[in-house]
Amino acid sequence: MILSLVFFTFSFVFYLVTALLYIGHWVFKKKWIGQTATTMAFVALLSTTMILIARAGESGHAPFSNLWESMMLFVWATNAGYLILEYRHKFRAIGAFVMGLEFIAMISAFMLPYRFKSAEPLNPALQNKWHWLMDVLRPFGLEKYAIGWLDFHVFTTFIGYAGFAISFGLSLIYLLKERSEASGTKGGIMGAFPEARIIDELSYRAIAWGFPFLATGIVSGAVWANYAWGSYWSWDPKETWSLITWFIYAAYLHARVTRGWRGKRAAYISVAGFLAVIFLYWGVSFVLPGLHAYAS
Amino acid sequence: MQDKAKNGGSKPFYKNSIWYFFNSLKLTLFVLITLAVVSIFGTVVEQNLPVEEYLQKYGEKWTSFILTARLHDMYHSYWFLALLAMLALNIIVCTFERFPPKWKALLNHKSEKFDARLIEKFANHHVFDVAASPEAVKERVVNAFKRKKFDIITSGSGKEFHLYAWKGRIGRLGSDFTHISLLLILLGAIIGSFAGYKDFRAVFVGGEMSVPKADFRLKLDNFWIDYYESGQIKQYNSLLTVIEDGKEVLKKQIWVNEPLYYKGIRFYQSSYGTAWNRVSEAEIAVQTKGRSEHNEPMLVKWETPTPLSGTKYSVKLIGYAADFAYDEGTNQVFSKSAEAVNPAVHLEIYDGDKLISTPWLFLKYPGIFPAIPGADEDLVFTGYRGIMYSGISINKDPGTNVVWAGSIVMGLGFILAFFVYHRRVWIVVRESGKSTEVKLGGMINKNNLVFEKELKEIVESISSEKAGGK
Repeated sequence: MILSLVFFTFSFVFYLVTALLYIGHWVFKKKWIGQTATTMAFVALLSTTMILIARAGESGHAPFSNLWESMMLFVWATNAGYLILEYRHKFRAIGAFVMGLEFIAMISAFMLPYRFKSAEPLNPALQNKWHWLMDVLRPFGLEKYAIGWLDFHVFTTFIGYAGFAISFGLSLIYLLKERSEASGTKGGIMGAFPEARIIDELSYRAIAWGFPFLATGIVSGAVWANYAWGSYWSWDPKETWSLITWFIYAAYLHARVTRGWRGKRAAYISVAGFLAVIFLYWGVSFVLPGLHAYAS
Repeated sequence: MQDKAKNGGSKPFYKNSIWYFFNSLKLTLFVLITLAVVSIFGTVVEQNLPVEEYLQKYGEKWTSFILTARLHDMYHSYWFLALLAMLALNIIVCTFERFPPKWKALLNHKSEKFDARLIEKFANHHVFDVAASPEAVKERVVNAFKRKKFDIITSGSGKEFHLYAWKGRIGRLGSDFTHISLLLILLGAIIGSFAGYKDFRAVFVGGEMSVPKADFRLKLDNFWIDYYESGQIKQYNSLLTVIEDGKEVLKKQIWVNEPLYYKGIRFYQSSYGTAWNRVSEAEIAVQTKGRSEHNEPMLVKWETPTPLSGTKYSVKLIGYAADFAYDEGTNQVFSKSAEAVNPAVHLEIYDGDKLISTPWLFLKYPGIFPAIPGADEDLVFTGYRGIMYSGISINKDPGTNVVWAGSIVMGLGFILAFFVYHRRVWIVVRESGKSTEVKLGGMINKNNLVFEKELKEIVESISSEKAGGK
């Protein structure tokens, strides 16, 4: 068994424990459970980092080239993004939703057939390194560690996905919280969460990170496509779906400044946006034909 | 709305109902959501297939619907382009309506009149007393805001001061930068579709290719494939030479991800294969009639007369078909496919200077037709060395740079729009009995949570004793 898969097994358990702890903290409202949950989230983040490092060593390139590797990047970025959010705003109950999502992501990565997990050398279309970076690294003999558009494109896209995933979790909480606020119940199961308007604001912040990063991912993909395929945009299903997702989040941003579209409707758009992200990420790869179809 | 009232009846001619239709955020939402939904169709219905394939997949009724609605080339259909045009008009009109007043307000913000009573109406406001003189408290306020990188101006004197602090004004322009960047990207796409072209050439190793609408040619010096140790393909490479006015001006090795760029045109490695109508050399052997074995084969180069040793004949290799076929109507030989299913070579056979025969010889069917009628010797085609061709995509798109410029503006716009927040705070410092009352309140254009925290920190640093000096 290769090392990255050993770390994966550890991480799988860590995410399960982390998600359970956050849910425990949410339900029982005990501070020590919350602190343990945050600690476990850190452990899980370190373990995910080790998966990525081990995989880079095994395959000889940045670990962004197949579905399983990109799932690990997604899990890593979402975890890191969540921990930053928790550190800055000190709302722990939200972790139950985000870490629950992380665990679901780990399950889906686990269920992928082996051919999506194995470490492979890069095929011709994926080989792209920045010449200037190679030139910078050459005097030190490190030029084989140069990265290129592939790495930049995948990395920025997945920071974007992570932002949207966090916003999705927050929007679900918003919709539940909004309902419980409307019915006038204080405390109860939704009492652990901050006020709806704060959740709405946090959800916006997550999209405010996700949206420019997705755009950077799309643009860097276009730059790369212009090198590799001879055209910066060819309406390939993956490209089109990334644009669809981008349109939805653009709608979200404009909804928030439009009277009557704030709050609830904006939250629905964010949920729709994340469903589009899931289809963009998994659906397009498996269902629709095109240049990004890994499953063929 | 205020503008309208001010202008009274003298509205500019273009401000009619169409203008106001396009000056609407609801329209933006409608267009964005519609674009998102209809774009899905184009990913489900495969684009630009031959009509027969749609018939096969969807049946007659649906195919005629697909063709009428232009779903087979949706992203270039008039209605999809109309939606994009609507988005563009929406952006243009909104920018014209909102940008000038915003710009003015941002420039003149210091001279704006402000009613101190409004401070307590802000969602973010604080009222508190500080045990110090108004003058000292004013200094503390100024320092507290400056430490948070605010700009601040003061008016008033003695017992009452009015202050105004602000930060991140330029963040307000983020949305405008982003909107203009989208227009630039659309413009780049339009330039590309009118002034650019795409083409494809298959060129043999050693051969030359023409370039459409350009005054130079390309020569393919070599084509080769690199492999990993495991046998997987690592890279496809072509070595190209640019020839201009008969002179070689540039040599470059291209591969997937590394095109050649010359005079605004890009050349991409896009495919490769073995030629179906040419070989570099063929192996031809002499066989005496009645004998089952032939002599040692000889190498015959393409279009090079070669004497056949041990005979009085010489041969010239003039044709090749990878998958031999014969069209009786036109008397033409052609290759049914690019695969070497039934390889055959076409020879000219000379007796001295005299052309005596032009047979086709088949690799898989030796001896089915005699190569030289009436002679004792026959010729057998025993092998060949194929020629690789490299498939080169040609793309000229002068709009690309406009698209990149748009992308850079967009990045700038995002940084301003999402990470620079415009905060404005009004402060009144007034003597109240023995101590001094401070009222401060303000607003931020986004990210209220940050603002709440920041104001709390400022209030704390004004209230605390140490805050006086730096």
